[in-house]
Amino acid sequence: MVKYIIKKLLMMIPMLLLISFIVFYGLQLTGIDPINFMVSPEVLSSNKDNIDALRESLGLNDPLIVQYFHWLINCLQGDLGYSFDGSSIVSIISVRLPYTFELAGYSLVFSAILGIGIGIISAIRQNGIIDYVGRVLAVLGQAVPQFLVGIILIQIFAIKLGIFPSGNRVSPEATNPFIDAFLHLFLPVVTLTIGMVAVLMRYARNTMLDVLNCDYIKTARSKGIPEWKVYLKHGFRNAMKPVLVILVFRIPMLVGGSVVIESVFSYPGIGLTMTDAIVSGDYPIVLVTTMIIAGTMLICSFMVDVFNALLDPRVRLSE
Amino acid sequence: MRVNLQEQKSTASSSLLKKNVRKFMRNKLAVIGLFVVVLMTIACIIGAIAGVDYNTPVLTEMKKAPGNGHLFGTDTIGRDLFARVLIGGCYSILIGVFCAVLSSVIGAVLGAVAGFFGGKTDAILVRVSEIFQAFPQLVLVMMLVAIVNKRGLTNLLFIFVVTGWMTTFRMVRNEYMSLKGETYVKVCEAFGMSGNNIMFKQILPNVMSPIIVSTTTNVAFFILQEASLSFIGLGVADSTPTWGNILNAAKSISIVTDQWWIWVFPGLAISLFVLAINFLGDGLRDVLDAKQQ
Amino acid sequence: MRKMVKKFVALSLATILTLGTLSGCGGSKSNGESTTGGGANATEATASKAEAGTLKLAVTTGDGSTTDDKIPTPWYNRIMATNLMFRGLFLADSTLTEVEPDLAKDYTISDDGLVYTINLREGLKWSDGEELTAEDVKFSIETALKTATINSIYTSAFQNIKEIKVDGTTITLTLSKPYATMLDVLAQFAILPKHSLENVDPLKLDSDGFWKSPVTSGMYAMDELNVGNYFTLKVNENYEGTKPKISKIICYFVTDYVTAAKAGNTDYVFGNDASLVESLQKMDNFDTHEVDVLFYKYFIFNMKGVDGKENEAMQNKEVRKAIIEAIDRTALAGLYPNATVLNSGVPNNNPAYNGFEYSYDVEQAKADLKASGYDLNRTLKICYYNNDQTSIDLINTVVYYLEQVGFKVEATLSNDGTTDLFTTRDYDIGFKGKSSFSIDEWYVEYMSNDGLFQNIFGGDTAFDALIAELSSETDTEKRNEIYKQLQDLEQEKMYKVPVFTVGTYVFTSKNVTLPDGVTFCNPLYMCDLDFANWEVK
Repeated sequence: MVKYIIKKLLMMIPMLLLISFIVFYGLQLTGIDPINFMVSPEVLSSNKDNIDALRESLGLNDPLIVQYFHWLINCLQGDLGYSFDGSSIVSIISVRLPYTFELAGYSLVFSAILGIGIGIISAIRQNGIIDYVGRVLAVLGQAVPQFLVGIILIQIFAIKLGIFPSGNRVSPEATNPFIDAFLHLFLPVVTLTIGMVAVLMRYARNTMLDVLNCDYIKTARSKGIPEWKVYLKHGFRNAMKPVLVILVFRIPMLVGGSVVIESVFSYPGIGLTMTDAIVSGDYPIVLVTTMIIAGTMLICSFMVDVFNALLDPRVRLSE
Repeated sequence: MRVNLQEQKSTASSSLLKKNVRKFMRNKLAVIGLFVVVLMTIACIIGAIAGVDYNTPVLTEMKKAPGNGHLFGTDTIGRDLFARVLIGGCYSILIGVFCAVLSSVIGAVLGAVAGFFGGKTDAILVRVSEIFQAFPQLVLVMMLVAIVNKRGLTNLLFIFVVTGWMTTFRMVRNEYMSLKGETYVKVCEAFGMSGNNIMFKQILPNVMSPIIVSTTTNVAFFILQEASLSFIGLGVADSTPTWGNILNAAKSISIVTDQWWIWVFPGLAISLFVLAINFLGDGLRDVLDAKQQ
Repeated sequence: MRKMVKKFVALSLATILTLGTLSGCGGSKSNGESTTGGGANATEATASKAEAGTLKLAVTTGDGSTTDDKIPTPWYNRIMATNLMFRGLFLADSTLTEVEPDLAKDYTISDDGLVYTINLREGLKWSDGEELTAEDVKFSIETALKTATINSIYTSAFQNIKEIKVDGTTITLTLSKPYATMLDVLAQFAILPKHSLENVDPLKLDSDGFWKSPVTSGMYAMDELNVGNYFTLKVNENYEGTKPKISKIICYFVTDYVTAAKAGNTDYVFGNDASLVESLQKMDNFDTHEVDVLFYKYFIFNMKGVDGKENEAMQNKEVRKAIIEAIDRTALAGLYPNATVLNSGVPNNNPAYNGFEYSYDVEQAKADLKASGYDLNRTLKICYYNNDQTSIDLINTVVYYLEQVGFKVEATLSNDGTTDLFTTRDYDIGFKGKSSFSIDEWYVEYMSNDGLFQNIFGGDTAFDALIAELSSETDTEKRNEIYKQLQDLEQEKMYKVPVFTVGTYVFTSKNVTLPDGVTFCNPLYMCDLDFANWEVK
């Protein structure tokens, strides 16, 4: 088992390298010239010599592969470089990543509890009231575009009722940082949770249904084990595997998917930074944020593999 | 004798079909879902064929509330919203269905190959899928837009398919991994059936149900995804009236509060369609699930 | 099997725990930050006591001109927050053309208009206690000519300065040729501290760490910057003028002004976008101030690069004429709350207007297009960069108009307008906005050495002589004569075609009590607003 985990972990290194190279290369292909970004066209046309010197000093005249390794080595030494507007990327990331982790973390926990809970109850009482209501509500949550949910929540709770702030993460007038955090996180977390619950509920319901139709459940029932025990001990446990897989897969989607929500709530997380960078073509930031999301994604997919291997020896044996 | 057998087989399958249809019809939500999906799709197609005028701005008629010849009112430059929602539906449904089907096909085929053959093939395909999965969609869209220098529909279709097949892939692969050990596959192998035959004719029907469920979910997912990308300005060019692009008007707070019809109707169209397709998917799952029969 | 299950439960527990701590860490860490970031708790007591004196502002980060991790540079646009921090030598009134000394004590201009002798006030200090000297002025002007992000009004004025001499508190500017609006430009130009910035590469000035905690000369000094959320200003102890009544200013980083205004996060909003103006006019708790500014919305044609590479399709004037004839500019004006169609850089109601009119005539457009021999299968490319709904609506309407006369059109929303319009140049028609300082600024864009426009007008020298004449002429009659000639020339050349000027509005919340006689000026420039006497409820 340990060997399997180590092997999987080691596998991630070449993959991260490959991804970073693809993104690096792809961004080169886009033809965005960093110089255009740093220097206004006015200066460009008048200072040809200075610009060439700047280009040389930035290493932009080197072959692509040299530039790539240059970037890579710097990154490995903890220097993620500078955005086109001159800020150090390490300082940008260190402020914003925790914000996004907060947002994504709370959303994940709440949606997992709600989604799995409703899903299992719906499966046990299939076609019952909870099943119908739960399904309709959850699917409704999934059917309305998330940003629209966010906009509507802002309209109601921030503008009409004035209970919650309409955006940002920290307020300058806060007396208690925990209350402040709660107030600022509430609406975005609710928005993300509404969207997530639906997916989790569907999966939890579907897998639970599958499990409940399995022979061993029937056997357990026939042995006279109490219903709740059947559900909890046999049903729940076995249904959790695919649900956990989906749950783990949601983490990077949350980190990346909160992108839209962060821009609705002008929440200063990594997603907003990334959208801004994409829109303005600030590719050192795009590169680093992409790698962060890719890294999260790979770790999650590693976790899924480990789960699978733990639960289903056949998967592991075949590798 | 032979003929007889085939007849028997066909009557058996037709009775199974009848049974399935009956079962499906009993699921009211699924029937409503199917009805809404079909109705909306047909309405949009009729609208497109009839050539409704979705594109003429009448600046004197802008921001008119529903009524007076405009069923859904007019948008910020006086275009008829009903016509725009119809035409927008054509684009959005096309995006959803095309991407969902194509990405499911790719995912299922690759998943089957990986799961069935295992070993090196599997390892490579899994790595490839992980690499694809690891890419944030946004960055891919941005790179493609910058490379081809155009915010076209094809860009979006391409990106959605390329980034959309991995979930199905993993699911199908894992199913194959588990099913490979089942007795009936072993028996087939012992009978000397070809790999293709076992893979697609014997095992595939058993994993059809999750594939169908995930395809329907994906139709909805892609339609929503298109709307989100439009919202942050990376969707299809503004001149193409997708539901997402029409809904973009909700960015402006004054429209949200004062001209509700401009965002409520496209918003409703998206939500209704997505809702219906999800119900349909659930219903199909209940019917198709072999284990429940 | 049992062992398996145990392992699984343990593992999932571990995951949940990790997630818990992850989010927990996130929480406590950022909370830690907000307490360290300026001792929030310590200032709390005073803040709530001085609650009455807190003005809220909003800075939008969505348009790419500013980022939410520093103060926007005052050398590009002058916005309220930076106006309160940085002063110029002079202070303009709301017309931006009458100036009073500010950092300067007095000044003299030689009769030939070539020598400006400016005396600084004595005892001026920066917010960090360093003295504000004539050296700072010299440094600022010299750096302005070398830096990357700067409004072109400064560069086009300062490039006429031949020599800057400093003698004690006296600065002498010697010009190579007279420049009529030099004082007005100096009134906008923020003086920056030499002692903080002299070692910074001018090309990277606007991204320097200085802007995270700037040293200021105005009424207010920087208090705290909370990256991504807000910055606050406190009264500058070293400011020598009247102390302002408002003791604290909070400036939120927001993505949308209207939301900020409705949620009570800002007391001051400006803009010309139709939906913004409409929403704020409808809000009872905001006062509307209409501002008289020259905000041009116009088309530019991508003609020819400085390298001499022509955009062939646009060379034929008949094509450009057909394009303009196909567009109903009067109808388009209806998209904005207060837009006035104009036909040159000079508004129609100005005595200098030459009377020419671009008319809307679809039939004529079709005929002209046919006569021009333009290949209708070619796609006409429009490039625009404002991403507000009104601009998008306007472009969509323009696309429709052009399609009606037979063009195949593709409109692209550019993410980086300046680069796409003047460097990449993959378009035929550009749609631009310009909040102009004066009519002259509209014409300066035609100069053969204009940093931006030479890239698309191929450095055409036709306008140079007239513009030079204009910039040194002070007599109104003669200036009007030059304006008329310039209009004839621009209408003949047809490089830029104005659509309309749009009305700009400033909105202040009812929490704010303005002193009598305050007139707002173009909100992207600086003028005397008597801010020291503003009060906040």
